Amino acid sequence: MVLPVLALFLAMTIYPFGFMIWASFRDYDLSKSAETHFIGLSNYFQIFRDSTAIESMKFTAKLLSIAVPVELVLGVLIAFLIRGVKGEKIIRSSLLIPMMIPPAVSGVAWKMLYNFAFGPVNWFLSLFGVPKISWLGDPFYAQLGIIIIDVWQWTPFIFLMIYAGLQSIPQDLIDAARVDGADWGRVFLHVEFPLLRPLILVALVLRIIDCLKTFDIVFMTTWGGPGSATHTYSFYIYKVGISFGWNIGYASALSVLLLIVAIVLVNAVFRLVRMRQQLGLGGEE
Amino acid sequence: MKRFLLLIFLIITSLIFSVKISVLCSPDNADALKWLAQEFMKQNPEIQVEIVPLSWEVLYPKLLQDLRSQAGSFDAFTYDVMTTGAVSFGLVDLGEFMKQHPELVPEDYDLNDFIPQVLEESGKWQGKLVGLPFYNNTMLFYYRKDLFEDPKIKQAFKEKYGRELTLPTTWEEVVEIAEFFTKKYNKSSPTDYGIALMFPRTHTLFYMYLLFFGEYRNAPLGIMRHGTADLEFGEYFTADHKPAFNSEEGLKALEMMKKLMPYSPDPLGSDYGETIEYFNQGLVAMVPQWTGPYLIFKSTLGEDKVGIIPMPGRSVSGQWALGINKFIPEDKKLAAFKFIIFATSKWADKNKFLRFAVAPARISTLQDPEVRAADPRVPALEVTYVSQTHRPRIPEEPRLEDITVEIFSKILSGELPLSMETLNDLAKKWEEILGK
Repeated sequence: MVLPVLALFLAMTIYPFGFMIWASFRDYDLSKSAETHFIGLSNYFQIFRDSTAIESMKFTAKLLSIAVPVELVLGVLIAFLIRGVKGEKIIRSSLLIPMMIPPAVSGVAWKMLYNFAFGPVNWFLSLFGVPKISWLGDPFYAQLGIIIIDVWQWTPFIFLMIYAGLQSIPQDLIDAARVDGADWGRVFLHVEFPLLRPLILVALVLRIIDCLKTFDIVFMTTWGGPGSATHTYSFYIYKVGISFGWNIGYASALSVLLLIVAIVLVNAVFRLVRMRQQLGLGGEE
Repeated sequence: MKRFLLLIFLIITSLIFSVKISVLCSPDNADALKWLAQEFMKQNPEIQVEIVPLSWEVLYPKLLQDLRSQAGSFDAFTYDVMTTGAVSFGLVDLGEFMKQHPELVPEDYDLNDFIPQVLEESGKWQGKLVGLPFYNNTMLFYYRKDLFEDPKIKQAFKEKYGRELTLPTTWEEVVEIAEFFTKKYNKSSPTDYGIALMFPRTHTLFYMYLLFFGEYRNAPLGIMRHGTADLEFGEYFTADHKPAFNSEEGLKALEMMKKLMPYSPDPLGSDYGETIEYFNQGLVAMVPQWTGPYLIFKSTLGEDKVGIIPMPGRSVSGQWALGINKFIPEDKKLAAFKFIIFATSKWADKNKFLRFAVAPARISTLQDPEVRAADPRVPALEVTYVSQTHRPRIPEEPRLEDITVEIFSKILSGELPLSMETLNDLAKKWEEILGK
């Protein structure tokens, strides 16, 4: 009974993963030839000599360090603030819309929103006397533009997780705190937030992994430009591996490195939490 | 009832015994190819043709992947001229095929009727005929005819610049006219900006550069320095196949691009679609664009408002050819060959241009009185086809293109200095990729 599932798992996951590791040590460039040969760690050394790869790492780090915390704060805030508000169900459903739109579609929509001459964003800003902004043509604004899209698309994900977590907190705990004289702020800080911490941690880990994979919105809006200002690491892998020449070997090495970084980052988050617990600073997770 | 059953029988047998071929193409060519496929199937009911459009970004990787793996998941395809070198290994040698199957080539199918440069560039690779020219795309310079012919505007221009407002023939003239039509520099301008330029960080910037570089690279001094460009390596290279852009001509081209940028709405953030829209909505007075958007301009602005001239500097070719996958069974090769011969025949070349504005590749089409009367682009096309520049067609082209676009984009956005040093660094990267 298990065999077909196991075979499928091997074929769909283990084989491509093994192939990626194998290819990363080979000169495997389909634009030259379908034949491959072993080149050791050359593809890995190449990454650190490749200025575009390094710039794409920098932008991905920027995206990770700005977009993810903003999404976390906004998601948690919204989840707390909409509780008990009139029309809570409608607001809740509306907030989930960005997350349900495929990133490629939202990329197209945002490209139109950011249009220099006819885009609603520049029109709206012009009402406050802001001159037209080149959202996709200026390195600073293009990066900001990508961060805004990411925050818009993925804040609802954090919100959804936290909101679901809030619903599952036993009401008697909150009532008990209130009887003890805790106000809204204290209930949040000492009852709800500690209980939500494991959930926030899971959301953070998922967002880190997801953020490292950011590809679609860049593909649909800036194509990594201007220059290499908005090249995300995953987008660069796509370009190396598919878009400009099928350099499978180098793209595999880039992918292996991404995997290592993701594992290290996720482990770092878990370790940090564990350390806080050991130092007595953490919650009850 | 008997007739009905007979019909059903015929349909079933034709489905069973017919050969089905799939043709991959870019969306630009899809409507014309679909129509041609219908016409072809009327004449050849034993062959079923399926047209599969794929976006430009996906088509080339898909072709390369399929050809390398020899999967044969499609039978014929349109390929962009600059990918010829990369996909040529998977293309059927059509010259040889024609020799083996002369009965499949109609008598009036005249290879010599193709514009020689076009047949050479999009059809041939290292002496072999690997494709048949289908879409002879090139870039033209569109302008607002009504504005350029307005006596008040002409008078105002003369007062400001001391010369007549004439149609530009050089980029230096374009700069002056673009400034005149930009509200920021001329309050009474009827348009907000002078020209719509597309300098995004996509393959667009790679060909846009040639519009400028081509003028200087192919001027007498440029030819003296770099030699005549060939159709395999194009104007980016010298005659002995070294990078030509790290030169005075290369710098001048980028300087000219920068000079024009203040008169264009968001040049670094605009691509094909945006610039078409800017011209269409009356935001700009001029736009360098491919042949296709003419139909959009004509239908929105009106034929009387849209003027077309050859590119002030040099145009760039963007041809597409039809080729056959080498790794498919013989019966499919025969069917695909029949179809691409039909789709590139004299009749098809003329009718796809008249119906779908797919630029013609044959001399007979350009000389046809009906065509000349129907489409105002023909005179500009004739001039352009013999003077246009060419991108490299070598297999390394996609990679060269990507690193070049990155550096050019950084220069234009001010991230990198516009200097010979920057261009020399880029040339070094080219040489690394080319293994020189």
